[in-house]
Amino acid sequence: MDGDNEYILTAEALHKSYGRGPGRVEVLHGLDLAVRKGEFLAVMGPSGCGKSTLLHVLGLITAQDSGRVTIGSRVVPNGNRIRTELRRTMIGLVFQRFNLISVLSAEENVDTSLRVRGIRPDGRTGELLESLGVSHVAKRKPGEMSIGEQQRVAVARAIAHRPKVLLADEPTGSLDSTSGRALLEIMQHANRDDGQTIVMITHSEELAGFADRTVYMQDGILVDHN
Amino acid sequence: MHHKLASVLNALGIGVGICMLLTLSGLARGTLFEISDRAESADADLIVCPSGWGNGLVTRSGVGLWEKYAEKINEKHGNIVERIVPVFIWPLKLAGQDQQATGVSPEMWYTLTGGRKLSEGRMFDPNNKFAKWLEKELLTEAPEDGPVEDLDLTEAPHDGLELVIDSRLAGAGNYHVGQKVVSANHEWTIVGIVPAGVFTRVFMPRRTAQYIFGDSILQCTFMFIKLKGGCDIGPAAAAIKKTTGQDVVPLTAYRGMLQAKFDILFGIINVINAVALSITFLFIMITLHTMVLQRNRDIAILKASGASNWCITRQVMVEAALLTLGGMVLGVGLSFVAGWIIHTLMPLYTVEITWQWIAIAFGAASAGATLSSIYPAWRATRVDMAEVLAQD
Repeated sequence: MDGDNEYILTAEALHKSYGRGPGRVEVLHGLDLAVRKGEFLAVMGPSGCGKSTLLHVLGLITAQDSGRVTIGSRVVPNGNRIRTELRRTMIGLVFQRFNLISVLSAEENVDTSLRVRGIRPDGRTGELLESLGVSHVAKRKPGEMSIGEQQRVAVARAIAHRPKVLLADEPTGSLDSTSGRALLEIMQHANRDDGQTIVMITHSEELAGFADRTVYMQDGILVDHN
Repeated sequence: MHHKLASVLNALGIGVGICMLLTLSGLARGTLFEISDRAESADADLIVCPSGWGNGLVTRSGVGLWEKYAEKINEKHGNIVERIVPVFIWPLKLAGQDQQATGVSPEMWYTLTGGRKLSEGRMFDPNNKFAKWLEKELLTEAPEDGPVEDLDLTEAPHDGLELVIDSRLAGAGNYHVGQKVVSANHEWTIVGIVPAGVFTRVFMPRRTAQYIFGDSILQCTFMFIKLKGGCDIGPAAAAIKKTTGQDVVPLTAYRGMLQAKFDILFGIINVINAVALSITFLFIMITLHTMVLQRNRDIAILKASGASNWCITRQVMVEAALLTLGGMVLGVGLSFVAGWIIHTLMPLYTVEITWQWIAIAFGAASAGATLSSIYPAWRATRVDMAEVLAQD
């Protein structure tokens, strides 16, 4: 990890397990990862290797058992308040099943995400929906949108507050190949034009091709693909 | 608040509790206060009643006091007493329920009611014909404190079995002037109607009441005393008590006595209200808790977006507040509807919904809603983001 200043997100010796006693399952086994500022990183690996757990730890959704996560220049502490603050300001999340709030319209989903972060939406939501090609569904609820439209709205929500890092957990998993590629183009555009750092989990070699770099996971650690 | 039907139903549940609180309290207090208001409408300052009646005065009827006390009071305290009005109270069943009826001399009726005019008809026994006949029959031939003889009332002037009723009772029983009604085994004629707000809903000639319902026409239930202007009520009451040896209470104490007499009723109503409100708040808690469980994913998404525990707590509490506010509006509206229904079906009952009680209900509901939302809010903050969002 030379030249630490270049890294926006690092993970060192991450251990994470679920359950207790004999049923305890260790998912991450001392994983190390470093993501450069402005990098588009794809994480690949077989099902159950711990990719989503890694993303949850990096997204501060769950805490590691041991090891260290650094975002920007800040080592993430255990305290809830700071973790919430970092989640609010530094991270954007895109999920495989979008996780839009079903009772809110596209516009309200994005607005709500901004408001809980203490940001007034002003015109930002409209601009984003427009740039992602979903302004026509702004007033529609998720149930009234296509799968592709829902995922674009989810991306709009994730980047609306201009996070330092965008974490995407198989963002195209629920999309057909055309919609998947279209979404990846949008993410690539955010990465190349706006310098958005992205960490994306995917099963698809083809989609991983949109990233600058791909790392592989197996049994809770990164491995050399070859 | 995005599930409109569920929110309306929840608010309705809260509204029913609020309505119950307002209606029950309004009915109990309204009816008692209406009775108190009527009692206080009497143009008098003091009530002289048998020693030891205390708060029981407000529900007593029948024989209580010898009328000769009036002479004694006049004799000793003529300088401070303007007039004395003996009354004989007895319940008569009219419009399906017992009504306190006041036996009073026709000439004293006007002073007792503060010069109130009849809206229809005339005063009962207007020339005291029946009273004089009765006095002649009983007092000239029997000793003063002797037993009342059985008289043949068919030979008596007809003016004795006459009633004046108030407009509310007339409305409730569809009574009109000239109508004959049977009560207490006698046939009475309604001869006059007075606007509501007088001492009792039914008035009859005092001598008639004393003869039919008492042991002697020389005994009344109690006496009203009107003092001369500028006279202090307290010292006057003490002086008259000393002279008569009977209880003398200010008319202004009537309301307090009535409330004290029905303290247990208020107690029961308060318990019912407390139970109703507790159920309402339990209802709010279950509703919010269910909402939290149903919206686990939404909460997890908000938390993943950086929503703090306070933000989540505030969200749940705002929902509780909105539900309670909706419930309050519905509850107040429903209580007015309930009051109208009660008044229509049972015109003699009064439901008094006051701003004071609406404020009390609002305060209780707000406090209850806040308390009820604490546990659901805490549950919401405990939603495990990783677990919920991993269920992709």
